[in-house]
Amino acid sequence: MKNNFTVLINGQEKTVSAEIIDKKIWFKLDEQTYSYDLIDLVEGSRKSKAATKSPDKILAPMPGKVTKVFVSEKQIVNKGDALLVMEAMKMEYTLKADISASVEKLFAKVGDQVTLGYLLIQLKENK
Amino acid sequence: MKRINRVAIANRGEVAVRIIRACEELGIETVLLHSDVDVQSRAYRLATKKICIGPAPTSQSYLNIEANINAALAAGADAVHPGFGFLSENADFAEQCEKNGLIFIGPSSGSIRTLGDKVSFKNLAKQAGLPLIPGYEGEDQSTIKLLAEVEKIGLPVIVKAAAGGGGRGMKLIQNIADAKDLIESAQREALSAFGSSKVFLEKYLGKAKHIEFQVFGDCTGKVVHLFDRECSVQRRHQKIIEEATSPSLTDELRKKMGEVACSIATLGKYKNAGTVEFLLQDNQFYLLEVNTRLQVEHPVTEEVLGVDLVKMQILTAQDNFIFNTQDIRIPKGHSIECRVYAENSYQGGMPSTGKLGSVHWPEGPRRRYEFGFESGDTITSHYDPMIAKVIVWDETRPRAIDKMIRTLKDSTVFGVHTNIPYLIEILNHEEFRSGKMTTRFIETYFAEGIKSPTSDDQVKKWAIDINKKLKTLGNGGSTNTHSGTATMVSPWSSYWRGV
Repeated sequence: MKNNFTVLINGQEKTVSAEIIDKKIWFKLDEQTYSYDLIDLVEGSRKSKAATKSPDKILAPMPGKVTKVFVSEKQIVNKGDALLVMEAMKMEYTLKADISASVEKLFAKVGDQVTLGYLLIQLKENK
Repeated sequence: MKRINRVAIANRGEVAVRIIRACEELGIETVLLHSDVDVQSRAYRLATKKICIGPAPTSQSYLNIEANINAALAAGADAVHPGFGFLSENADFAEQCEKNGLIFIGPSSGSIRTLGDKVSFKNLAKQAGLPLIPGYEGEDQSTIKLLAEVEKIGLPVIVKAAAGGGGRGMKLIQNIADAKDLIESAQREALSAFGSSKVFLEKYLGKAKHIEFQVFGDCTGKVVHLFDRECSVQRRHQKIIEEATSPSLTDELRKKMGEVACSIATLGKYKNAGTVEFLLQDNQFYLLEVNTRLQVEHPVTEEVLGVDLVKMQILTAQDNFIFNTQDIRIPKGHSIECRVYAENSYQGGMPSTGKLGSVHWPEGPRRRYEFGFESGDTITSHYDPMIAKVIVWDETRPRAIDKMIRTLKDSTVFGVHTNIPYLIEILNHEEFRSGKMTTRFIETYFAEGIKSPTSDDQVKKWAIDINKKLKTLGNGGSTNTHSGTATMVSPWSSYWRGV
């Protein structure tokens, strides 16, 4: 359930509504809605997502189904090459390589239903 | 006259709720034909009866003709309303309804075949000398043939699902190197969304406006148009904002296009609600397609004309609706609809799924909300991301735009991200406000999406403060997701003195 209260923001009293849903805090402030992972709110913690995000890891950017895989293991890919296609909410999204690399490991196949952040492909950057 | 006592709804979400409301007002019972995951939805809670027709994937539930027919019969329904999307434009479904003694609330299966199939529609329009866009609509669906036709028409070319509508399975080919991939991708999306991979090709008009006419055939077969809507604000051919009437039409153009719309519908022996879509460029208009069903954006027409299209549909299906020559329908004021999608405005429209927390659509004069999900319901990745429609009416277009912005700012959705910030930026855009936007509006000005006005560090600081405050309230902090009632005060103790 939502709570409405006031907080001091930059010295000003502001009315805020806020709610915790699935380990995230959601709040509305000055007509804008924001959310933040509670785990990332611990003082001094680094953003957990940022820590795991790197161009050699192709993660599912959304929950959905893998509808096409263009690469196989050990294949060389160039920056900008399409790697696989995912479908969610009836829309297709093509995931591309941000680096020139070889495909080290493939963790998904056509038809797989994957969750947000699932590691789909591990690349190995060509140096 | 036939009497409908119980309508089976072969759909979900907000349109299912819309149909339930119309049925309730007419004293008709409803049966919701739903997939197993959709028990957490507003339509499920509102329908008189509900029958599960299969698991979440659409091919096994909402697109399964046999399952829908069997469930409708088992529930004792005498009619079926298909809503929009799913089986709404499937002639086989309409035919199966007819064969099984179920009244299909929409045009006949024959009309759907003639007008809904884009190829047959084009042949009909061609024969009647109505204006069409150059393209290919042949039976040969091999990649080689399609590629040859793309070259013949000349780029840019659009690939569309033959059985489709609503932008699903549509792709734009801008250079020949991408043509093969895009055609195949369109075929896959068409198969998944409509159960048929058939596509056709069409010349892409680069600065056209999307204008459509609401047509309606009464039970005698008389077709009348209920004026126009403009839906030029589209992203990847999916409409985002619609309005009635179009700010772009002169009286002369409106009259001509309305006549063409009625002609094609009459040729297709159209009964019930339908929409004739056009592209308008340099004062030339081209017939695009006929959507043989109720349209997502039907509320804006209802708002400017003061009609109820869903009730008109049901009455027509009962052979109980005839246009009266004395009825004069003149649009009044201006109405806008925004589609609220579950997606992250600040991440290029990435779909957002999850359990809805608090959802609030604040009331106000001539604000209308059509929504299918409430607090506690889950938005899944199986279906369309549209979670609600916000519709406003005001005396003039500028006022309607301002009202829409205010309404969106007042609205709250927690639990999934929405495109509300994106909608507000579009509504505030100079070109939108001028009414001159074309179907390329989004790709021209919003190709990169929008950026959050607030830095991540700032949001984090606020989140820390607000979370602390939540904890001191003792009912919703991070240690306790089961929030409570501390801020709720009995209305009796606090207000009785004022009575």
